[in-house]
Amino acid sequence: MTTLRRIAATVAITAAGVTVGAAASLSFASSSLGAATTATPRCTTAGLTVLQNLTVGTVASVTVGAIPAACGGATLQVTVNNGVTNSGGSAAVPGGGGSVTVTIAVPPAVTASEQTDLVLVGP
Amino acid sequence: MISWARVIAVAGGILLGFGTLPGSAASLSLTSQNLTPYRTCTITATPTTTTAVADATARQGSATTNFGTLTTLTVSSASGANQRIHLRFDLTVCSPAIPATAIVRLATLRLYMTAVPAACRVLDLFPSTATWGETTLTWNNQPFGATINNPPTGSRTGTFNVGTPAGCQNQAAGYVTGATVTSDVASFVAGSVTNFGWMIRDDTEGSATTRTATFSAKELGTVAQEPQLVVTYVRVP
Repeated sequence: MTTLRRIAATVAITAAGVTVGAAASLSFASSSLGAATTATPRCTTAGLTVLQNLTVGTVASVTVGAIPAACGGATLQVTVNNGVTNSGGSAAVPGGGGSVTVTIAVPPAVTASEQTDLVLVGP
Repeated sequence: MISWARVIAVAGGILLGFGTLPGSAASLSLTSQNLTPYRTCTITATPTTTTAVADATARQGSATTNFGTLTTLTVSSASGANQRIHLRFDLTVCSPAIPATAIVRLATLRLYMTAVPAACRVLDLFPSTATWGETTLTWNNQPFGATINNPPTGSRTGTFNVGTPAGCQNQAAGYVTGATVTSDVASFVAGSVTNFGWMIRDDTEGSATTRTATFSAKELGTVAQEPQLVVTYVRVP
């Protein structure tokens, strides 16, 4: 009986150790998630100016301005959606930032509202 | 149909998600760092029948008459004949809707000026505090009341400067620059302030010499001159 009790106690302690080990591991992974999110930078959080350049009632191009130098060398992707058609284009941001005009491949008509999505990829 | 922009957004989200995986975080999160997504909603006063935009001029000299169907909007400082613009954009026409949690990075009011005053004038923007109707607004029933130079300059939330002399910010016909209304639109989007639009008046009403700036109204029907509100924002995950 004594031997059986020792074996049972050993099993119980081992199981407890495994549980503690698993908890520690999960906690560590969770910390990594927090750290990664905090460290994610963007080349800008500034307010970019967005102007539609119109040709015969359509959005022929979009000029994006106030791009900081930190975004120099990035690729600016622009998509214009008027609720009916969806078209876009892309252009490189100059090394010093500034302003970029992106030609829209298939200019959508101007309506009461258009959505323009901007994505700076890189630098 | 899934739009290209949404694919990019989803891809960014997936990359961020992968960044949480132990072991693969370093390389995948590096990619997510390089995406800076912005979204802009441009509201344009077109067609002339749209209800997404309302614009009207209130004239002190015709205090009980509505001028909501004119093709021009006017701000004027004059003795007994001041004029003010009232303008409202329905933010709910943006599709997809701007989330209440969005961070508004920049909001710009764009008006196309057709007649420029001969002296530099500062035009003040005030977020309206009461509802008004495009076809019922008059000088006497306008928000803020009929008293000139009210509300006071100190409560303005935006300005732009017009005039032909050198040094004026907007000296020629065309879309005026500088009318930034970011904080107002952020409050509208968040729901902390009701969107009744704006009133625009000369900073110093009652000028002995009449000073007038004229802008294109929705009713003009020229798309390239219509009033616009451009809202650039980022979505909070």
